[in-house]
Amino acid sequence: MIELKDIEKYYASKGVKSYILRHVSTTIKQGEFVSIMGPSGAGKSTLLNILGMLEEPTYGSYSFMGEDVTTLNERKRIELYRNHIGFVFQAYHLIDEMTVEENIEAPLLYKKVPGAERRSRVADILDRFNMVAKKDLFPNQLSGGQQQLVGIARALVAQPSIILADEPTGNLQSAQALQIMELFKKLNEEEGITIIQVTHSEVNAAYGSRILHLLDGVIKEDVNL
Amino acid sequence: MFKLNFKIALRNLWKNKGFTLINAGGLAIGLASCMILLLYVAYEWEYDKQFTDYDNTYIIYKNDPVSDQVYTNAWTPGVMAAEIREKISGVKYASRSTYPSNMLITYKNDSYKKQAVHTEPSFLKILDYKFLKGDPNTALQSINSVVLTESLAKTLFGDSDPIGKELKLDNKEPLRVEGVISDVPENSSIQFDYLMSWTLFEKTNPWVKNTDWGSNFCLTMLQLKSNKYFDQANSQMKELVGRNDSDTGVEAFMHPLSKWHLYNDFENGKLVGGSIDQLKIFALLAGCILLIACINFMNLSTARSEKRAREVGVRKAIGSSRSSLIGQFMLESVLLSLMGMIVAFMLMEISLPYFNNLLNLELVLAYRDWKFWGMLVALTLFAGLIAGSYPAFYLSSFEPVKVLKGFSARGGSSLPVRKILVVFQFVFAACLIVCTSVIYQQLDFIKRKPIGYDKGNLIQLTAHGTLKDQKKLPLLKTLLIKSGAASHVSNFSTDISSGGNNTTGIAWPGKNPKNDILFNTRGTGYDFVKTIGTEMVSGRAFSARFKDSTNVIVNEAAVKAMGLKDPIGTVLEWGDDRHTIIGVMKDFVVESAYRDVAPMLFYPDYLDDISVILVRINPSQNITSSVAKIDEIVKQFNPAYPIERTFVNDAFETKFDDEKLLGTLANWFGGFAVFISCLGLLGLALYMAEQRKKEISIRKVLGASTYNILTLLNKDFIKLVAIANLIAFPLAYIIINKWLSGYEFRIQISILPFAIAIALSLIIAILTVSVQSVKVAKANPVDALKYE
Repeated sequence: MIELKDIEKYYASKGVKSYILRHVSTTIKQGEFVSIMGPSGAGKSTLLNILGMLEEPTYGSYSFMGEDVTTLNERKRIELYRNHIGFVFQAYHLIDEMTVEENIEAPLLYKKVPGAERRSRVADILDRFNMVAKKDLFPNQLSGGQQQLVGIARALVAQPSIILADEPTGNLQSAQALQIMELFKKLNEEEGITIIQVTHSEVNAAYGSRILHLLDGVIKEDVNL
Repeated sequence: MFKLNFKIALRNLWKNKGFTLINAGGLAIGLASCMILLLYVAYEWEYDKQFTDYDNTYIIYKNDPVSDQVYTNAWTPGVMAAEIREKISGVKYASRSTYPSNMLITYKNDSYKKQAVHTEPSFLKILDYKFLKGDPNTALQSINSVVLTESLAKTLFGDSDPIGKELKLDNKEPLRVEGVISDVPENSSIQFDYLMSWTLFEKTNPWVKNTDWGSNFCLTMLQLKSNKYFDQANSQMKELVGRNDSDTGVEAFMHPLSKWHLYNDFENGKLVGGSIDQLKIFALLAGCILLIACINFMNLSTARSEKRAREVGVRKAIGSSRSSLIGQFMLESVLLSLMGMIVAFMLMEISLPYFNNLLNLELVLAYRDWKFWGMLVALTLFAGLIAGSYPAFYLSSFEPVKVLKGFSARGGSSLPVRKILVVFQFVFAACLIVCTSVIYQQLDFIKRKPIGYDKGNLIQLTAHGTLKDQKKLPLLKTLLIKSGAASHVSNFSTDISSGGNNTTGIAWPGKNPKNDILFNTRGTGYDFVKTIGTEMVSGRAFSARFKDSTNVIVNEAAVKAMGLKDPIGTVLEWGDDRHTIIGVMKDFVVESAYRDVAPMLFYPDYLDDISVILVRINPSQNITSSVAKIDEIVKQFNPAYPIERTFVNDAFETKFDDEKLLGTLANWFGGFAVFISCLGLLGLALYMAEQRKKEISIRKVLGASTYNILTLLNKDFIKLVAIANLIAFPLAYIIINKWLSGYEFRIQISILPFAIAIALSLIIAILTVSVQSVKVAKANPVDALKYE
């Protein structure tokens, strides 16, 4: 489903190139649960952002479901992205001005899903995440774990084929973190959603099926669990 | 989607109440100012356009060549209209009428002085006033016919039916009401209360019948069948007067009715503008104020961008396209401008009566007019879209990854734009401050300029009825002076504060036959010099002790214009008569205070009608009681007529109306512009303070005092305002110099207005910015640093 070939990313400042990623090539198949690990500054988040089409690689080719992302125009890319990718952030990044329900509904609006279906899908997800009672609350009225649940619900509601999570448990206490990871595992196993997460924690990585170790922008190790 | 966006927009606005208030408030003031100015502009623009066929209606003007000048005016001969009907092609109607003048109309025992016009039935065809009662086709045909306006009919008859009622003109001529029309619109050039027939005019003024092409006393109007005849008709018009009166060189031409009011300034026979120039200034002012308000809006909105940046990032990350983000921000902006418009409405309703009072107008918000609503919606959308465009495009351009990682270094690129916008606002504000102060200086200068006589405590009574009777006048004079209320009384053939008769037909020894001079001619009574408080330069004034019937007095300007070395005793030829100069009077202003005094010739009153009686109030008495006493005596003396009394001082003030209007409007709207600009500055200050919170905290930890921080923060703004002033000065100089060059007497542009502008704008700017910077400078540094 994902094929990266010789991905390079660097920033040039005052003529000096500082490399973030070097010669990254890998393939991720449908249904995998991949954890990207490595020390700070290894390029984990950049790799994830490139996978999520939020950033463009300097060189290299990236094909997503058979389409070459680097050559697509912005509209097509957004289209592809809307339909297949769900993002989960470390800092949740919910929109403060929207209620829980509206936050979850937002991606569907951008996908132009008709009203009735939208409502049923949002209701469905709220139900699944046990958040029906909280649907009219604003993000700042929720705990961190609950906010992250909303973040995941928002990523899931558009029925993506892949979820990209950037340290999803980084801001959470361990009990809440465990709950989130269990959820990811369940989604991966029961619904076959591909999950790629960036994490520092060995414990979290153990939930996945494969670990990519990144060091100074280079894949040092690719371990299948 | 729209609903959600709408909801979020409302929540956003509510969450940032302070910001919303500043922003909507600024926009509201801008919109209200703009709307009021536009209302005024529209009012002036619509002048004389209430009539169905105003488009092909023309006023006949003529160019009079006098020596090397051409004078243009709309005074035409009485015989012209008939000739036009016969000789000019494409004419549908032509009419002659008198210019409106106050005449006494009486019903039973109630007399009123009201504006009257004598005219022909075709006048009502050209200007289709709305007839409420009576038939427009038959009105004014019989000699005694009169058409009243609605309010005059109400004054005379109350609620009873006016048609067929008998009235009296000047207590002599019987009139019969044949029609009632709705009141003449305020913005119509011909203002009257009643119309009477031309035949009646000829009866009461027998001389009219014998007038020919040399005698100009009418307003002539014509309506073409269609405008395609214009060129032909106008070229025929050019020769019309010459054919009948060959040696004067007078050329008539057609001036569109729709341009009568605004394009009324002719120089040497060429149209050079008129009130339209001032109107253009106001329209420009309206646009600029709206622009300033929009800029403000942009500034304040982008200033908050840091807070909104994360939202933009998230939205993009969950799949929003750029256009839908632009939509969101535009919606917010339009919503805000809508709120601004509602507040603007309230501001307008509150301030309109005040402005009407100030400008002497009757502007109203025409709620039933679709044009008004169209304008309103257009302005709101325009303001909303223009103001929202920069934040919308700027904010939506954020790259999601960057803003989600932490939005920081972006300020650098957006700030110059914002600074430029603030500079622009202050350029405009400084320009207005300079112009306003120069306008006031000029006004003050003209008002202080000696006018040649003492206009304070001088009363002018309209001479009508018995007051016109020269034989009885001495009695009135004695009564007034004996009562102690007046110290001197005299009379004059024209309102002392306005123009009047003039002639070029005066010859003097040594005159170059080609060099005609236009003399104002006025008839005066005895004691005139003492009454108005001027003096004789040489010779003597008219006096009962001498026989003065063939003697005249001239003013200094006349002596200078004629080039007489020893004017006393010089014999002038005026028409066929010979007059001896017995005295030279000091120059005094009758017409424009902005021009040199024109040559004037005074003759004893018994050669002419008396039109005003001048009364100098006894300075040793209380003015109010003196005036009451004068009223009482005049009423006893002339019971049939109402008292018409004005203070010359007040009448003179009306000469400055245009400048006062300009000054007042520039002052008010300049004030608004400065205020709105300050809101913009406040927005920028808020933004800067937000941006530099961390820097300031670190500086404070390192030991900077509050004073150090304040200078640091204010320095940048002072620089901006100073730059704005520097740009504004040459601009303002050019503009105001152009304005001043229209005046013969004018002040030298001094450094003062510029000093005022820079001082005022700096003080205001520092005060505004300090509101914010003091808060930041005093804040506890730990609060800002602990989140890092």
